[in-house]
Amino acid sequence: MTDTTAPAVQLTDITKRFGDVVANDSVDLTLDRGSIHAVIGENGAGKTTLMNVLYGLYDPNEGTIAIDGEPRSFDSPRDAIAAGIGMIHQHFQLVDNMTVLQNIVLGHEPSTRGLVDEQAARRRITDICDTYGFSVDEHLDTPIEELGLGIQQHVEIVKSLYRGADTLILDEPTAVLTPQEVEGLFDVMEALTADGRSLIFITHKLDEAMHAADDITVLRDGSAVGTVDAAATSQNELARMMVGREVLFDVDSRGGTPGEVALTVDGVTVRDERGLEQVRDVSLSVREGEILGIAGVEGNGQQELIEAITGMRTPERGTVSLQGRDITELSRRRRIEDGISYVPGDRLEEGLVQDYSLVRNALLSNQTMDAFSDGLFLDWGRIGDHADEIIDAYDVRPRNPEATAKSLSGGNQQKFIVGRELERDPSVLVAAHPTRGVDIGSIEFIHQRFQDMRAEGVAILLVSSKLDEVQKLSDRTAVMYEGSVVDTVDPDDVTEEELGLLMAGRARDGTERAARGTEGDA
Amino acid sequence: MSDAATGVRSLADRIAARMLDASVLERVVIALVATALALLIGAVIVAASGYDAVEFVSSLVYGAVGNVSNLAFMLRQSSMLILTGVAVAVAFRAGVFNIGVQGQFVVGGFAATLGILFAAPLLPNSPVSAIPLLALATLLALAAGGAYGALPGVMKAYAGANEVITTIMLNFIASGVVYFLLDAYLRPEGAAAPNTEQFPDYVGLPGLVFESPSFSILGLGVALLTVVVVYLVMDRTGFGYDLVTSGYQEPAAKYSGVDPKRMIVRTMTISGMIAGLAGALFAIMILGYYSDPNTFPTFGFDAIAVSLLAANNPLGVIPAGLLFGGLDAGGQYIGFTLDVPSELVDGVIGLIVLFVAAPELFRAAGQYTSLGGDRE
Repeated sequence: MTDTTAPAVQLTDITKRFGDVVANDSVDLTLDRGSIHAVIGENGAGKTTLMNVLYGLYDPNEGTIAIDGEPRSFDSPRDAIAAGIGMIHQHFQLVDNMTVLQNIVLGHEPSTRGLVDEQAARRRITDICDTYGFSVDEHLDTPIEELGLGIQQHVEIVKSLYRGADTLILDEPTAVLTPQEVEGLFDVMEALTADGRSLIFITHKLDEAMHAADDITVLRDGSAVGTVDAAATSQNELARMMVGREVLFDVDSRGGTPGEVALTVDGVTVRDERGLEQVRDVSLSVREGEILGIAGVEGNGQQELIEAITGMRTPERGTVSLQGRDITELSRRRRIEDGISYVPGDRLEEGLVQDYSLVRNALLSNQTMDAFSDGLFLDWGRIGDHADEIIDAYDVRPRNPEATAKSLSGGNQQKFIVGRELERDPSVLVAAHPTRGVDIGSIEFIHQRFQDMRAEGVAILLVSSKLDEVQKLSDRTAVMYEGSVVDTVDPDDVTEEELGLLMAGRARDGTERAARGTEGDA
Repeated sequence: MSDAATGVRSLADRIAARMLDASVLERVVIALVATALALLIGAVIVAASGYDAVEFVSSLVYGAVGNVSNLAFMLRQSSMLILTGVAVAVAFRAGVFNIGVQGQFVVGGFAATLGILFAAPLLPNSPVSAIPLLALATLLALAAGGAYGALPGVMKAYAGANEVITTIMLNFIASGVVYFLLDAYLRPEGAAAPNTEQFPDYVGLPGLVFESPSFSILGLGVALLTVVVVYLVMDRTGFGYDLVTSGYQEPAAKYSGVDPKRMIVRTMTISGMIAGLAGALFAIMILGYYSDPNTFPTFGFDAIAVSLLAANNPLGVIPAGLLFGGLDAGGQYIGFTLDVPSELVDGVIGLIVLFVAAPELFRAAGQYTSLGGDRE
C-alpha cells in the first residue's frame, strides 16, 4: 500500500555518466507530496539528464529511485507513466492536426468491446478540467494547431493527468508564455498541489522559482549544490549557488549616441509557405551603435520579419536597405558578405549542422570569407583556430573542437553560434533569442558582448521573448502583435507588465485595442 | 530489469560501441573477414546443393584475379563501377537521389559516339587524330550526361517533381530514344544488328599494361582521377562544403547562404557529367562502336549498391567498386566454365555483399538507437 507520508519522489545518489562525462554526480532530490520543487541550474548542470533518468529515458549508472517510498526502476517512459509520473516537455508532444480530444486520449483510448468510447473520454476530461479550472474542455474538438501556446500547454497537462499522473515534471514551462499566461500557469500549479499532486518545476528563471516553488534544488556541474526553502532565499543567493560566484544583475550601459541609419525596413509584408500574411506592412530602422529590441509572443511575425531582413525569405512587398542601399533582391550569401550577421532562433535546424564537428560548424555561413580559404581550397587549419577562439572566448563546453554539435547541450550550442556570428565583425547583427537556454553566467557575457558591439557602432536588431532581456539591452523597443508593430516604446518608460499587455494585443492600460488597421500605428 | 537482461544489454552496448569506433583500417579488415566468412557459408550452400564447393570458390577467385586477362576484365568492370559509383555518391551526399545514372550513362556514351562518327571523316586518317576525337567525345559526353542529369534536377528544384521517379523514367526514355535513333539513322546499310559502324581503329585507349582489347589501365586511371577530384572538391572547397551540408541538413545550408534550388541543379549536373564520362569510357574503351542500350550492363544501377556500400564516400567507392567488379568477373567466369545454376552464383554473390554491408548497416543502426552508450 502507498505510504502517504513518504515523499512522492526520492532520488538518491543518482549518477549518470556518458563516456567520460559525468552528467549527474550522486544527486539527491526529495519531492514532498503536494509540493512544488524547482530544479534550477546552468546549461549542462544536469537538470535535463536528471529528469530523463526519473522519466525512464536514461538508465542511471548508480543510485536509486523511490516512488511513494517504494524503490523502482524504469526501463522506459512507459514504466514511469505507469508509476504515475508525467512529463510536460518544453517542446509540446502534440499532433498538430489532431483535435484536443484525440491528443489527450492518444495511446490510452478508453474502449468498450474494442471500440473507442468517446463519451467516456469526454466525461473524464471534463471532470479533470472542472477539478483544476482548465478551460481545455471547451476546445475538445478543435485541432491543436488552431490553439495558442498557453492552451496547448494546458492540453499537455490534462493529457498527463488523464494518464493518471500523480507527479508532473514541467520542463521550462514558462519559456513560450506571455507574463499573463505565466500567472495562469502558476494558478494551475497551485490547484494541482492543493489536490495532493506533486510537481517538479525546471527553470532558468530565479524569480519564477522563488515565486512558484516550495523548495529549490540548485544543480551545478552535475552535482546538487543544495536545496533551499524558496521562502527564505534570495535571487543573489540562488545565483551564487548556480554560478559559483557573485553575479551582477544590472549592467546598464544605455545612452551612447547612435550614428547613421544602418538598416531600414520599409513597408515590408511577408507571407509564409501557406500563403498567410505573417508580417504586415512593417517599417523600422536601426542606427549604428543602437540596439532595437523587438518584443512579442513568439509566432507574431518576428521570425518572418528577420528572415526577410537576413535574406532567408523574400518579402511580398516593401524594401530592406543596408546603409541606404536597397538589398531586397540580394541573396542570403551576398547579405552575409555585406556584413549582416544572423543568430537564428532555430539553432538545431539552422544554426548548426548537428552531425558536424565544431570545426566544421565554424565555417557555416563563413564559406565565402577570404580569411578561411587560400584561393581554391579551404584552409581547415585556420578554420580550426577560429573554432578554438570561439570555444575559448564564449566558454563553450566541452572544450573540444572535434566534438559534434549534437553532443553539446543547448546552451553551449547557442554560445557557439553567438560567438561565430559576433566574431565576423558585422555591420548589422540580427539576433533571435540569443540567450535562449543559456546559463546565467554566459547570458551575462553575451549581453556584455552585445553592449561592446553597440559601442563599436554595430547596428543590432534583437528579437527576444524574454522581456527582461529586451528591457535591459534595447535603446528602443518595438512590440509586434499579429504581424504588425503595434507600438515602439522607450524601455525606461515602460514596465514589463505594460509590455506584456502590448504583446497580448491590448493597449498599455489594459483596454482592448481597436480593431487592427483602423488606428495609426507607426 | 533482471540481471540477465542488463547483462545482455551491456554486452550489446560494448559490441556496438566497439563497432562505432572502428578505424578505417579495422573496417577494411572487417570487410575482408566478412568476405571470407560469406565465401565459407556460400561454399557450404553450394556443397549442400550437390556441386563441388572447392571448385566453385576457386573458380570465383580465379575468374577475378586468376590470370592477367581475368584481372583485366575485373579491373574493366571495376573502372566502370567506380565511375558510376562516384556519380551516385556525389548526388547522395547532397541529399539528392539520382537513380538515373544509367540513363545519363547511356546518353553520355551516345553523345561521345556521335562526336566520333561525325568528326572522324573530317580529320586525316592517322593516329594523331585520336587526340582531338577523344577530347571532343569526352566533352560531348560530359555535356550530354550533365544536361540529362540537370533536367530532373530542374524539375525537382522548380516544380517539386520527385527525382527518384523522374530519373527512373528518364532511364527508360534514354534507352528508348537512343535505340530508336540508332536503329533508324545510324545502322549501316544491310546490317542486321542495331549497331553503329565501328570507330576508326586509332580511336581507343592504348592497352599499355594489359593486352586486352577492351581494357586499358588508362580507363582505371580516369576513374581513380575522377574519385580524387571529387574527393578534393567535397572535402577541401567551399562549394563541396555547401554540397555536403545540403545533404546533411538543408535548413542549415540555406542559413549559411546556399540557394537550395540551384544546389540541386548543380549536384544533378555534376552527377550526370560523371555518369556521361562513364558512358564515353564504355563506348570508346569497351565497345568501340555503339549498340542497343537495352543490352548494356546495368552499371548505373549496380553503382547505387557500390555507393551505398561506400557510405557515399568517394574514396570508399574505390574498394567497393573493386569488390563488385571482382564478384562480377568471378561470377561470369563460373557461368562460362562450371555447370552451376546462375541463381546459385547470384545467391552467393548476394551473400558476400550482404556480409560486407552488414557491419555498416549495424553501425548506422547503432547510431540511430542509442546502443553503444548514449552519445550525448
